[in-house]
Amino acid sequence: MVVTHRQLISILFVFGLLLSSFSGFCQDEDAVTFEMKLSKEKLGINERLRVEFAMNKDGDNFNPPSFEGFQVVMGPSQSISSSWINGKRSFSKSYSYILKPTAQGNFTVGQATIEIDGETYKTLPKRVQITAAVDNPNAPKTADDVADESLHLVAQVSKSNPYLNEAVTVVYKLYISSNISVTNFRPLDSPKYNNFWSQDIPVTKYNTVNENYKGKPYRSVILKRVVLYPQKSGKLDIEPLSLELYVDVPTNRRDFFGSRIYQQANKTVSAGKRTLNVIPLPEQGKPEDFGGAVGQFEFEVSTTKTDLNASESLQAKVEVSGKGNLKLFQLPKPELPSALEVYEPEFEENVRTTITGMQGKVANNYTIVPSFRGRYPLPSISFSYFDPKSKSYISLKSDEITINVMEGPTDSADGNFSTATTPKIAVPTGRQFHFIKTQPNLISLNSRPFFGSQKFYWWLLTPLAFIPLVLFVRKKKQESDADVEGNRLKMANRLARKYLSTAKKQLNNPEGFYVALEKALHNYLKAKLKIETSEFSKEKIIDLLEQKKVNQSTTEQFIELLKSCEMARYSPITKVQMNEDYQKAGEVISKMDKQL
Amino acid sequence: MRIKGLLFLLFAILCTESHAQSEVLFEKATEAYNEGEFEKAISFYDDILKNGKHSAELYFNLGNCYYKMDEIGPSIYYYEKALLLQPNDSEIKNNLGFAQNMKLDAIDEIPKTAMKRFHDSLVLAFSPDQWGYFAVAMIILFVLGFITYYILYEATHKRIAFIAANAALFIAIFCIIMGYLGIRNQKLQNPAIIFEREVVITSEPNERSEKVFALHEGTKVNVLESLENWSKVRIADGQTGWMPSESLKILKDF
Repeated sequence: MVVTHRQLISILFVFGLLLSSFSGFCQDEDAVTFEMKLSKEKLGINERLRVEFAMNKDGDNFNPPSFEGFQVVMGPSQSISSSWINGKRSFSKSYSYILKPTAQGNFTVGQATIEIDGETYKTLPKRVQITAAVDNPNAPKTADDVADESLHLVAQVSKSNPYLNEAVTVVYKLYISSNISVTNFRPLDSPKYNNFWSQDIPVTKYNTVNENYKGKPYRSVILKRVVLYPQKSGKLDIEPLSLELYVDVPTNRRDFFGSRIYQQANKTVSAGKRTLNVIPLPEQGKPEDFGGAVGQFEFEVSTTKTDLNASESLQAKVEVSGKGNLKLFQLPKPELPSALEVYEPEFEENVRTTITGMQGKVANNYTIVPSFRGRYPLPSISFSYFDPKSKSYISLKSDEITINVMEGPTDSADGNFSTATTPKIAVPTGRQFHFIKTQPNLISLNSRPFFGSQKFYWWLLTPLAFIPLVLFVRKKKQESDADVEGNRLKMANRLARKYLSTAKKQLNNPEGFYVALEKALHNYLKAKLKIETSEFSKEKIIDLLEQKKVNQSTTEQFIELLKSCEMARYSPITKVQMNEDYQKAGEVISKMDKQL
Repeated sequence: MRIKGLLFLLFAILCTESHAQSEVLFEKATEAYNEGEFEKAISFYDDILKNGKHSAELYFNLGNCYYKMDEIGPSIYYYEKALLLQPNDSEIKNNLGFAQNMKLDAIDEIPKTAMKRFHDSLVLAFSPDQWGYFAVAMIILFVLGFITYYILYEATHKRIAFIAANAALFIAIFCIIMGYLGIRNQKLQNPAIIFEREVVITSEPNERSEKVFALHEGTKVNVLESLENWSKVRIADGQTGWMPSESLKILKDF
C-alpha cells in the first residue's frame, strides 16, 4: 500500500486537529525547538524534495526561506498534532513544502524564522546536492541504498598528532541506524600497522550504545580497539579496516499480519584511511641517557640486603613503573664496582595494556656476589623519560646504596674461584681495613728528592776524598821513618826536652844549671834502668851500663858529663861551656836511649 | 750581621713553631677520625698541608677518611700519593686495595714481559731516594774498607778488607744505577686519578670529536701530554685518548 505525501499530510492534519481538541491549556515546560527536516540530502534533478519546519510550540509570523534554486511545487501545508499521554501533553506543528530543483549543483536551504512566545527562533541552514537526473525518480530506496545510508564504520583516533612513542588508541566503531539490523559481520582485511608497535585489545562483548552521528541518532558498536605506539616520526598512515556485513533492511511492504518485510543485504564497509602526524621528540633538552621512554614513570633501584658476607649473594633490582611505552625502552644499567661479580639480569615484566596504553612495571634483577671484604657503593643512576603531557624531559635519580661486605676470604690464598660471567677485576683485600697512622713524620712539602740533589753528590764524593788524604798522611809517615839521622835528632831533642827542661831554664845561672843537669842525668838513668837508689857513683854507673851493653864511648861521654857537673861546683864556667854541655847531654841521652 | 743572626733565629723559631702546630693538628685529626668525624679530620689534614708539611702517613690518613665517606676518587688519589712517598708500605697497599674495589672501571692490564717484570721488581723495590741512601752508605763502607786495607799489615786481613771494599764499591755503583733508572721511570710516568663520576675519552682534544671510551671515578691514568684544557691519557690496557684536564688530578703535584 503506497501512501503519497499529500494523503499522509491530510491524514496527519485531521488526526492532529482531533487530538488538539483534547489538549487544551496545558503549558509545555520543555524547551522550544524549531527544526528543519529534509527528506533527502542528495537527489536527482528530476526528483522532489520535501522540507518540513517543525516546532513543539505554537508560534506566529512563520517566515519561510527563499528556497533559492528550487521551485515550490506545493505548500506550505500545516499540520498540528497534540496528544496527552499519562497527563503529559506533547505538541507539534509543522509547515511542509514540496520543492523541485531547478539546476544541478549544491544549494542551501536557508533559515526560516518564527516567533514563539514573543521570541524569534531560526532553523539551521542545510546543504542539498542536486545531481543529474536519475532513472527512477521518486522510486523507493533499494535495500542497498538504505544499508549504505544506515551503516557507517568509523575509526576514532585518540590523538591525530602524537609524539613518537606516545600511546594512540584507535577504536573502530560501527554506527547502525535504528531501522536496520546487522545479523553478522566478517572482517575482510585486518589492517597492518606498519611503523607502529601495536597491541590489540580484544572486544569480548559487543555493547550497543545509542549515539548521535552527524546529527542523526544511531546505535553504535565498538568492533575493534588497538593501542598504537608510533615508532617513526612524520606522516604515518593507518590502513583502513574493511568489514563485510550482513544486514536486514526493512522494506515498505508488509506481510499479511501487518509487520514489515525485511530484505537481506550484503554490504562491505571500510573505515577511511587515517593519517597520523607523528611529532618527533624535541632535541632540545634531551638528556644523554634518554632511552626512548615516553609516558609517566617512577624509577627505583633497590637491593635485597646491604650487609652480607663475601660469597653470599644479593639481588639488585632496577625497576621502572608507571604508564607509557614500558615494553619499548631499555632499562638503565646499574654501574657497579668492578670488584663485584654480576650475573646477567633477569627480566621481570608486569604490564597491562588498556585502552589508554600500557601500564605496570618492568624490572631487571641482577644477582651480585661480592668476593672480598669491603664497602661497595652502588652509585645512583638516572632514568630519563619524555612526558608528553608537560612536553618536557624528566630525569629521575635512584638513591645511592652502599653494600657492606663483612667477612670474606682475606687474601688470594684461596685462589681465584671466580666463575662470574662478567670479567671483573677484584683486588684481594686483607683481613682488615687498617686504622690511620698516628705518627705524623711530617716533612716539608717542598723538600727536594735526595737522589740527584747536590747533597747527594757531596755525600757520595766526600768519603772518596778521604782516600788520597789517608794515602798522603801515610806516605809522609813512611818518609820520616826512613830518615834515621833526622829521627835520632828528633829523638834527642824530645828526650832532652823531657829531662833537660829544668836545666834549660837555668842556662843563665851556672850553679843551678849544673845541679839541674846532674839531677836530670840521674833521673834519666833511674827511669831507664828502673833502679830505685839515691846513690850514684861513677863506678856503679859504668857497671850498670856495661851490663846493659851500652857502647863504651857513650858511657865515657856520660861519665865525662857527670865529671864536668862536679867540676863546675868548684871552678868558674863560661856560658859557652854551659851550652856545649847542654848539647852534649842531649846527644848522650838520645844515643843511650837507642842502646838501652 | 747581628740583624741577620736575629732573623735566622726568628725563622728557626717560626719553623719549629709551625712544626709543633702541625703535630698538634695531626693529633686532633686522629681524634676526630676515631670519633667518626671524617670531614673534620680532613679539614685538619688540609690545614697541615697548607702549612707546607706532608708525609706518607698524612696522605694515608686522608685516603682512609675519604674511603669512610665513600668518596672513591679522593680516597684512591691519596693512597697512591702515600705510596709515592713510601712505595713498599703494606698497610697503604692493603687499604688501597679496599678503595680500588669500589671503583667502576675494570681495565685489564697489558701483561708485562719477563724482562720488564724483572726490571720493575728490581728498580721499583725502593724509591730513588732510598737507593741514594744505600749508595752513600756503601761508598762510606768502601772508603773505610780501603783505608783498613791500606793500614793493615797481615795478608789475610788485608785480603778480607780489599774484598769487602770492592764489594761495597760495586754495590754503591749498582745502587746509583738503580736510583737513576727509578728517576727515569718516574719522569716517564705522570699518573693521575680521575675525579669525575664519568668522563668520556675522545679521540681529539675538542668537544666535537668521536667518543672512544668512558672512564669512571678512581681510575688511574697516565698523562702523556696536554693541550690547553685537555690531557692525553693512557690507561692500563694501552688505550689512549683525550679528556678534559679538570676531570683528573695529577699525583705528583705535591
